[in-house]
Amino acid sequence: MATNNSIHFPDPPTHGFGRPPLITRPAPGPDTNPGSWIQQITLWRVIVGIIFAAGLYAAYARFALGFERSTHLVDAQPWGLWVGLGTLCGVGLSAGGFAIAAAVYLLGFERYRPVLRTAVLVSFLGYSSVIVGMMYELGLPWRIWHPIVMWNRHSILFEVSWCVMLYSTVLALEFSPALVEKIPFATLRDFYLKWHHELLIGLVLAGTLLSSLHQSFLGGLYLLAQGKLDPLWYSPYLPTMFYLSAVPAGLAVTIIALYLSSRSLNVRIDLNILSDVSQVIAPLLAIYGLFRGVDLLSRGGSMYLWTWREETLSFWLEIALFVIAPVVLLSRPAVRSNPKYLYWTCCLIVMGFVANRLDVSITGLQASSGFYYIPKWTEFALSLATVTAAVIAFRYAVVYLDVLPRNSSAQRWIVRSGPARA
Amino acid sequence: MESTRAILVDITKCIGCRSCEQACKEAHGLPQQAETRLSSTALTVIEEHGDKFVRRMCMSCQDPACASACLVGALKKTSLGPVTYDSSKCIGCRYCIVACPFNVPRYEWSKLAPYVKKCDMCYDRQVKGQSPACVEACPTGASIAGSREEILEEAERRVLLDHKYVKHIYGSREVGGTSVFFISDVPFEKLGFRAVAEQPLPVLTANALGDVPTVVLVGGSVLAGLYWITQRREQVALAEERESFTSFKSSEERK
Repeated sequence: MATNNSIHFPDPPTHGFGRPPLITRPAPGPDTNPGSWIQQITLWRVIVGIIFAAGLYAAYARFALGFERSTHLVDAQPWGLWVGLGTLCGVGLSAGGFAIAAAVYLLGFERYRPVLRTAVLVSFLGYSSVIVGMMYELGLPWRIWHPIVMWNRHSILFEVSWCVMLYSTVLALEFSPALVEKIPFATLRDFYLKWHHELLIGLVLAGTLLSSLHQSFLGGLYLLAQGKLDPLWYSPYLPTMFYLSAVPAGLAVTIIALYLSSRSLNVRIDLNILSDVSQVIAPLLAIYGLFRGVDLLSRGGSMYLWTWREETLSFWLEIALFVIAPVVLLSRPAVRSNPKYLYWTCCLIVMGFVANRLDVSITGLQASSGFYYIPKWTEFALSLATVTAAVIAFRYAVVYLDVLPRNSSAQRWIVRSGPARA
Repeated sequence: MESTRAILVDITKCIGCRSCEQACKEAHGLPQQAETRLSSTALTVIEEHGDKFVRRMCMSCQDPACASACLVGALKKTSLGPVTYDSSKCIGCRYCIVACPFNVPRYEWSKLAPYVKKCDMCYDRQVKGQSPACVEACPTGASIAGSREEILEEAERRVLLDHKYVKHIYGSREVGGTSVFFISDVPFEKLGFRAVAEQPLPVLTANALGDVPTVVLVGGSVLAGLYWITQRREQVALAEERESFTSFKSSEERK
């Protein structure tokens, strides 16, 4: 304890209201004409427009024409892209919120506090898009409330649905101060923020437990696929593996969100924080890789590792993207300290994570089902439109609310170094 | 107490007349057209494997994976034996189809309000004491129905007395036992039967779910403990800081 020479003082009871805006936009020059709508059309807006148009048609196809016309799902492959990408990846990649909240509030890693709100926002939007995804994934979406009153406690999916419901609520409450602090009525604002502060630890603790449960139970869903799921992925420890992989992937998504915000929004972010977060990712990925390897070998999986088949190739692609490449890259200080390299490394992690979830939910089941599933374009379109909507919501949230870390965060630490204080 | 009902299919006696298919469609109000595979409009079909006819239908497991998977409890193992489906509860998640070790449940992919379809061993008829429609329609006695003990005994008797039979009753041990049994004179793997584990599948998830209280209790206490340490550390640091600040101030004053 003697070496503790940096001290964090609790945040002063200030809030976003009245603080200067985070985003500084260049004032419109004399020759720009803000009224012209032609100039508002940029490449990205065109792309977003196309994505939404395609998504809109896909939604029409799903709800007006049915699964048969909007998906390539069949009885042999009843869960496709909307579960594999929408649910499994959507929830898994949103693990950053609980990981950072637990690190800051429960473990006392104050240096991650500046990215906490970003992580929570990303998670909240991730879970929101999962719930939106449920509306087109479920066959009878208007009955989505059934699990609240119809219980089957032997069902892993029941536990998952309850955890997702509760944790989405926790995330909304965790993020709520960012909205409440914009309320111009001081009494109401301070009343809410005071109570929020009192209850926050409870929320974080509940959120950590709920997340740990449902992140692992998403893998637990496939325990019943014994004999169907390829031995490269089936394991009694699927829940543990889903948990161990979700945390680093969620952190990688947080880094990606922060980096892209700093790139596109003219905000200044202390990029050292990204490097700090990345230092945790590499060991987490290594632990996952080690656990996975030991588990596979101990169950006699080595015979599947070197055969020439699609499953084995997918397996190695996934391991290379999610474990080998990021661990090697993140071990180099040049990568950790360069935001751009770090960003691309995190993209690799996310791709590897997506590959893993799609392998478990699609590739690993092909051999036993005898059906080669390739999603229909409308499945891609609807998933892409959902993610795009979440990204746009994120963009507006960080522009109008105090979410992103500020450069001044360093001032919150006061270094005590003896006489230098005077 | 009623005894559990079961069906025995003797593959050596089936002549492939498909009377069972027709009777099933009639009993369940499904369109009368011949189908070669199980579908949402064909809850039992005769599959041809070489010169053998193999009937497929729900195996009505003793401990069904589908019923343990269903988050709203729409699928249930009844005390009578059949595994029933309550369509008014179903939300259309299709986890039952993923979970079924025999790949039986079918989904109405073409409908706008799609439900799961599978054989329910004519639960409504069985409640009234009638045998399943398919069994009643079978002209050769290839399918017979009765109490599970009787049916299993009969299957054992046939397999033991007649050497043409493979020495295995499919369904007696598979996934902890089923309520539909098959006996055959050709090895089952050649007739498209899946080799499945003898352990009931719900045991696998029950183990994971059994960990929940432990995770919540142990995890919760560990996290709470860590939080206590964290905030204690902060308090100590603050106190030390305050102390050094006061001593610093008093030394200033002394100057």
